[in-house]
Amino acid sequence: MTNQSARNNILAKLKSQVAGADYDKLPKETGFEYPKLSREQQLEQFVGHLESNHAQVVKTSKAQIAEVVARELKSLGIDRLLYGKSGQYSEEIQALKGSVTLQEFDFVVESQAKQNLFDNTPAAITGAHSAIAATGTIVLWPTVEEPRTLSLVPPVHFVIVDAEQLYANFALLMNEQQWHNKMPTNVVLISGPSKTADIQQTLAYGAHGPEKLVVLLLVG
Amino acid sequence: MLVIKVSEFIKNVKRDLNDPQLRENFRGAMDYLMDKRQAAFTDVDEWATLKEQCKRIKQRCLLKLPHLLEQLEENLQRNGIEVHWAETTEQANEIIAKLIAKEHGKSVVKGKSMVSEEVALNDHLEQQGVECLETDMGEYIVQLAKEHPSHIIMPAIHQNKSQIGKLFVQHIDGFDYSSDVDTLIKAGRNVLRDKFCQADVGVTGVNFAVAETGTLCLVENEGNGRMCSTVPDLHIAITGIEKVIEKLDDVPPLLSLLTRSATGQAISTYFNMITHPRQPGEKDGPKAVHLVLLDNGRSQAFADEELRQTLQCIRCGACMNHCPVYTRIGGHAYGTVYPGPIGKIATPHMLGLEATNELPSASSLCGACEEVCPVGIPIPKLLLRLRKESVKPRADMPQTVKGQGGGRKPVEALIWQLWALVHKSPWLYRWSTKLLTRLSWLMPKNLGPWTTARTAPKPAAKTLHELIGENEKQGKRK
Ligand code: SF4
Repeated sequence: MTNQSARNNILAKLKSQVAGADYDKLPKETGFEYPKLSREQQLEQFVGHLESNHAQVVKTSKAQIAEVVARELKSLGIDRLLYGKSGQYSEEIQALKGSVTLQEFDFVVESQAKQNLFDNTPAAITGAHSAIAATGTIVLWPTVEEPRTLSLVPPVHFVIVDAEQLYANFALLMNEQQWHNKMPTNVVLISGPSKTADIQQTLAYGAHGPEKLVVLLLVG
Repeated sequence: MLVIKVSEFIKNVKRDLNDPQLRENFRGAMDYLMDKRQAAFTDVDEWATLKEQCKRIKQRCLLKLPHLLEQLEENLQRNGIEVHWAETTEQANEIIAKLIAKEHGKSVVKGKSMVSEEVALNDHLEQQGVECLETDMGEYIVQLAKEHPSHIIMPAIHQNKSQIGKLFVQHIDGFDYSSDVDTLIKAGRNVLRDKFCQADVGVTGVNFAVAETGTLCLVENEGNGRMCSTVPDLHIAITGIEKVIEKLDDVPPLLSLLTRSATGQAISTYFNMITHPRQPGEKDGPKAVHLVLLDNGRSQAFADEELRQTLQCIRCGACMNHCPVYTRIGGHAYGTVYPGPIGKIATPHMLGLEATNELPSASSLCGACEEVCPVGIPIPKLLLRLRKESVKPRADMPQTVKGQGGGRKPVEALIWQLWALVHKSPWLYRWSTKLLTRLSWLMPKNLGPWTTARTAPKPAAKTLHELIGENEKQGKRK
């Protein structure tokens, strides 16, 4: 390991200051009790936040995924879609064959394939791991099938969210699923399309990530 | 770390106070950010509860700091992320330059990171022939203008859109002047997309480092942080040692207060949690991830229980947004990487009080910063403490803050010693106040900073003691 002496110096300095600390006597950290919401209220909260953050939310069902995506792509004038072959909803997505050119994410992101991902991929679709009502957040847990760049590089991102996977808040989600036992390579929480207010506090979408986020919320 | 000489602080303040455009830009931005924040905290009870909770979380994590750092290191290493330690900014730069050189890296894309500004990483890498490009829109603008960020959350607020339009005409090939924000952002996006695709290395900061799982968390809206930590083969994260938190459970309340205090958002667009480099079979993500932990004066602040509170900071920027001094003089006048109230309490530990002794004094102690601080840092109290440290005799032990006594002026010290002497002895007090009233004609017109905006005080013809004495005599006579 590098910089052994810097490490030892820093730790020694810090340790000498807290040598006698009594960790059993720390004050209680009381959190705020948020009012409990019904299922419907949570869904409403989830959609409300996403929409006010400029995401497009379409309530639909598993059976209608292909239809909705085809319609939205057409209205955007896009004829290609990148997806992960053995992802959660790959069967439903494959039903799009014929109406759009489906491109599989079957490459490693390097050299020509990388360039292609940046230059010639107008839209992509992924599933979601879960979702959070309190902040209108979609939780992605990228996999070998649906890699990290799939939801990041293409300018339009379709994401399929199962309403059954909606949790009241972030703390609850991590606790119920016991995240502390095993974290994957990457988890990303997404709450809208990419944006910035860096120029004169004026909101602009599509700073570096997707400029359009279409959420297919499976409710039936 | 960029820093101006103290004598320049006053000069800078005068310069920037007299720039109406600059003042308009800051006023507008601060009003916007204050409104946003206020709208995000409508429930007073919730705010008070969360603030107390987050303060206690950070205080617990600080009390356990050395152990959490060891735990973080162990878990990160188990996850395949290498950990490096730097006591100084030079060490940090050297570590990063070496990591890049080992991979023959030529181009770096950087996500927003104030710690990388603190170590002046760009300058260092450029000297080594490595191109280092800022990719946060605000940072990119500031870098094009060859300036430094004027705010820790919104680096380019000192410029307005037409100024930025002109800047783009100069620096982006084929860009026709426009002050339309969407057009400007699109132009920036196009330039930077190519860079993300081609860069060898991505450098980012860290908002929270979770010891329990060995996870690095990044908060952002634009997606450049995700790009920098996903697309290049090598990802180097750099952060201060105080950013470690104990467990995942600590994340939600801190995250909620961070984004709401900073920009009034319930959550940022992206919250990115990184736990491993690319695993076998995965198709993207960096092949190697490194974390550089920087001290640079933090362990000094840590050594004093009162000053330790400085390290609770989660860098939300709310204290600057609400600071009447910051709003008027802007971020550049401070001459330090971290401007505003947080800069005034953090920078003396990094640069020493000799170089920064004017900063703790440049405050009206109105307390707005403490009121909005989501982790309850008593900023005005710490400013007073630093003022004290800066006039303490240099030789005093222990040396609490590097450069202590840096603001001590012999004449001033002598005056206060005399003052103390006079107030200890009644006859000396009466005698000297009487002398003062009789010699009032000797009072100079010019009393340094006091008289820049006020007239010099003129002692009355008689002291209060004398007047009362006379009154009593008259009363008795009646
Ligand atoms: S001192 Fe408090 S208000 Fe200021 S940046 Fe830090 S956390 Fe935010």
